Amino acid sequence: MNVQRRNLMRHAATALLWATLGSAGTTMAQSTLLVGAPLPLTGPLSPEGIKLQRGYDLWADEANKAGGVSVGKSKMPVKIVYYDYQSNTPRAVQLAEKLVTDDKVNFMFSPFGSGATKAASAVSEKYGVPTLAPTASSIEVFDRGYKNLFGTFTANDSLSEPMAEMIKTTAPSVKRVAILARNDLYPLALGQEFEKSLKKRGLDVVYFDKYPIGTLDHASAITQIRIARPDWVVVTGYINDLILVRKQLGDQKVKPTVLTMINGPVYQEFVDAVGPLANNVTTATWWHPAARYTSGDVFKSSENYTRLYKAKYNEEPDFTHATGSAVGVLLQMAIERAGSIDRDKVRAALAAGKFATFFGPLSFGPEGIANSYTPPIIQLQNGKSVVLYPPEIRNAELKLGLD
Amino acid sequence: MLYLQILINGVLLGGLYSCIAVGFSLVWGVLNIINLLHGSLMILGAYAAFFAHAAWGIHPFLFAPVAGLLLFLVGLALQAGIVNRVMGAPVLITLTLTFGLNLMLDNAMIVAFKADYRKVILDPPLGLLELGNLLVPLDRLYVMALALLLVAGLYAVLRFTSVGRAIVAVRMDRDAAALMGVEVKRIYALTFAAGAFMAGAAGSLMSVIFPISPLTSNAFLGKAFVICVLGGLGSTPGVMIGGILLGVLESFGTLWLGPDFSTTIAFVLLLALLVFRPSGLMGRKGFE
Amino acid sequence: MNRAFAFRAIGLAALVALAALPWMADNYVVRVATTMLMYCALALSWNFIGGFTGYPSFATAAFFGLGAYVGGVLQNMGLFLGLAWLAAGLVVVVFAAVTGRAILHLKGHYFAIASLVIADVLREIINGLTSITGGGMGLNLTAPAMGVEAQSRLFYFSMAVVAAVALATTVWLDRSRLGFGLRCIEQNEDAAIRIGVGTARLKTIAFALSSVFVGIVGAIYASWTVYIDPSEAFDILISVKPIVMTLLGGAGSVLGPIYGAFLFLLLEETVWRNFLHVHSGVLGLLVVLLILFMPRGLLGAGSRLRVATWLRPERAAKRRAGS
Repeated sequence: MNVQRRNLMRHAATALLWATLGSAGTTMAQSTLLVGAPLPLTGPLSPEGIKLQRGYDLWADEANKAGGVSVGKSKMPVKIVYYDYQSNTPRAVQLAEKLVTDDKVNFMFSPFGSGATKAASAVSEKYGVPTLAPTASSIEVFDRGYKNLFGTFTANDSLSEPMAEMIKTTAPSVKRVAILARNDLYPLALGQEFEKSLKKRGLDVVYFDKYPIGTLDHASAITQIRIARPDWVVVTGYINDLILVRKQLGDQKVKPTVLTMINGPVYQEFVDAVGPLANNVTTATWWHPAARYTSGDVFKSSENYTRLYKAKYNEEPDFTHATGSAVGVLLQMAIERAGSIDRDKVRAALAAGKFATFFGPLSFGPEGIANSYTPPIIQLQNGKSVVLYPPEIRNAELKLGLD
Repeated sequence: MLYLQILINGVLLGGLYSCIAVGFSLVWGVLNIINLLHGSLMILGAYAAFFAHAAWGIHPFLFAPVAGLLLFLVGLALQAGIVNRVMGAPVLITLTLTFGLNLMLDNAMIVAFKADYRKVILDPPLGLLELGNLLVPLDRLYVMALALLLVAGLYAVLRFTSVGRAIVAVRMDRDAAALMGVEVKRIYALTFAAGAFMAGAAGSLMSVIFPISPLTSNAFLGKAFVICVLGGLGSTPGVMIGGILLGVLESFGTLWLGPDFSTTIAFVLLLALLVFRPSGLMGRKGFE
Repeated sequence: MNRAFAFRAIGLAALVALAALPWMADNYVVRVATTMLMYCALALSWNFIGGFTGYPSFATAAFFGLGAYVGGVLQNMGLFLGLAWLAAGLVVVVFAAVTGRAILHLKGHYFAIASLVIADVLREIINGLTSITGGGMGLNLTAPAMGVEAQSRLFYFSMAVVAAVALATTVWLDRSRLGFGLRCIEQNEDAAIRIGVGTARLKTIAFALSSVFVGIVGAIYASWTVYIDPSEAFDILISVKPIVMTLLGGAGSVLGPIYGAFLFLLLEETVWRNFLHVHSGVLGLLVVLLILFMPRGLLGAGSRLRVATWLRPERAAKRRAGS
């Protein structure tokens, strides 16, 4: 075979491949409710991605056990269409577009975290697909006038405000605060909210700095914190950052009256990785197995949710699992209320709010961020997480100091 | 007191950095291959230490040589089976090859161990050395000392054994070494495996300090790059000094410019060195 | 004769299909096709420095990210879309000429690392300039005020234009004195110097050429996705992917990068669809196989599968030494 012929064959093959790519795309008969869910199943965010997937699956299982979602008089089984976006935001955006135009999903669940949610919501807004965000809390995600984005987390200041208030009232000796925030959308925004909440209450922010993603060492920042003699240290970041910072705070005997780390300590992984140093660390979260909400959803109550979750996965659910299931029940309730899977009607039902879910009562502000429940404040005491706030579910008192 | 504490932080961190980089530098210097697998091999060593500690309570410090040996075998297999086939190929080929291998190893580790962060917790903890107001975390100090010991051991092997001298000979002039009867391929394989040994032992030591996950391997790899250029290629003492220098620089960078820019200085310095003094601060020749 | 005719006919048909695509396929396919054109532009760009000149540049991510941020910031300051893109290209090309001048005297690994580090430095700087770039919070852009279909066509054709210009530049370079000079450098730089080739100048031109389209593509990309953040815009994979594509197609050839980009995209799409949890490993495996068995790509000379070579490396080496 001479060279030119071989080239010709190559050109032909390429054209053929091109054609197959163009004709991809299938439509499913609309007897199943399709929900698109791009998740980071591999890459740096995969632990969170897998948690969310478990939450989604639990909801879909329970909903399908009951015959599906009621739409008017009939019932539609649920199918979640998953894609892995490899913890890569551009890929998440691309897959969101694929889910809408190619898989023709009816509704969407956002990718993980504030950054990817923000990026992908541009796609769902473009196509007018109501999209539920299970893990976005930064107001920067929601303040762009989008009509289709609804988040189950309350805004960042709903974590910083009650925390600041509680410390101010129960530990009046706390005056000086140091904040160390990861330079990344959510952790940085949260750090800035803390700064505001603290200053508002006349506390003195003696140190505020941000560290870049992928920092391997915090020793020198911590030396500076030690010199600033704070009574309260607030650190934001992802779990690996927090494990390292906790260890290095110990290395330099920084023992403030209060140590707050958000959100890593909620996970068992954090306790396992720092051992006794976990003791008395405070954190905040949006849901905790101690929650006691009764609900009108498939789970009936928070307690029952925890029980079902344990039965299926043989572990305690944390807030990420729960918010995954929460966007599911939220969507289901909105569809059942609208009596239709028409996107405009479901969007209107979502915007009207007042959903009693196991995750808490859910209603949304005009920008789509939940504003209807109080996220709990947690402390790790003797390797267990206990609830300090809100009063309805409090099961322990704040302990000051670190060992 | 502040400056002294920052200096201590920096030197301790630098000790860890040297330990990370030494195997990487050896492979680069002798084989002329940038081994992008290095960070992942380290993590593999850390996992071995973590599981040995969890299952049998073996102290990661004692386990370091075992982890090294395990990785030595992995390295030998990789070099003999795959990397040897592209020896002498242009940079692009070898670099892309190790990049692909690294993707595979990382993915395999995620499947096998999950991406969750783990850490070895020593019970009881090693505690602190307090010199007045200055604090020295003992785990870091010991890790640094053991790392130094490992590096010194490597240095001795290179200096005083016949295999070691053959490795050095190949680094200096491959063709001449071959003419002198050195089996170059065997030396390549041994060198690559020795690099993997250092990675595995370093990983085992690091498992008491850093959270372990397949996701962190690239951060370690990035440091290894900078240190190699700082210290000069393939020079074992150079790597020690380069690592400590980087640690100190980052520490003072954090102090003066804030943590946000601490890694920037390292990169800027790296660029500047490459442009003005590509042989590194210590290196002899390495323009090629 | 007929073969040349058939060749042209297929080429023409492909062009027509490409032009008609946005009206025939749904928006997802158009998005994938836009990505494919972006990959083409990136691979063709890398080919100038990596293929023709033989310098292992890992600077693509630096040019891409810088272009994305310059374009994004200018667009937010109210500059017209197309102008912001061109301005981004301009800034990036000046940047590349200056940095190229500084690092192109390095060779091999040293050049590779220096080019790799540029992206790291830029990322850290942009991360720190929170007031202008939003730092780690990312930068928001507003989507152009037009319908969904119109938007996807706009970005599709914009990418197509950049890819086409990059291809035209490649065709021109392939036949020009400049291209000849670059190939001399690739073959043997010392000899090139001895016969009077002004290597420093030529290399800088090649480096700048390899940056300009990448910068523009980065800016278009920013407007397209409406949100960028430093760790994504300067992702190391943006540097590595064009290299793999070009190697796949055949480095230094005119059409190689395009075949490579197309094949790579196809692999990427099929791999992640079918291997949900192990796709990066599968991608890695493909890269390794490519390097071991097809190091010169589809269009490279003597690019038969080298399975036999792998099984008997010594004999192959002897054969190579003998020839």
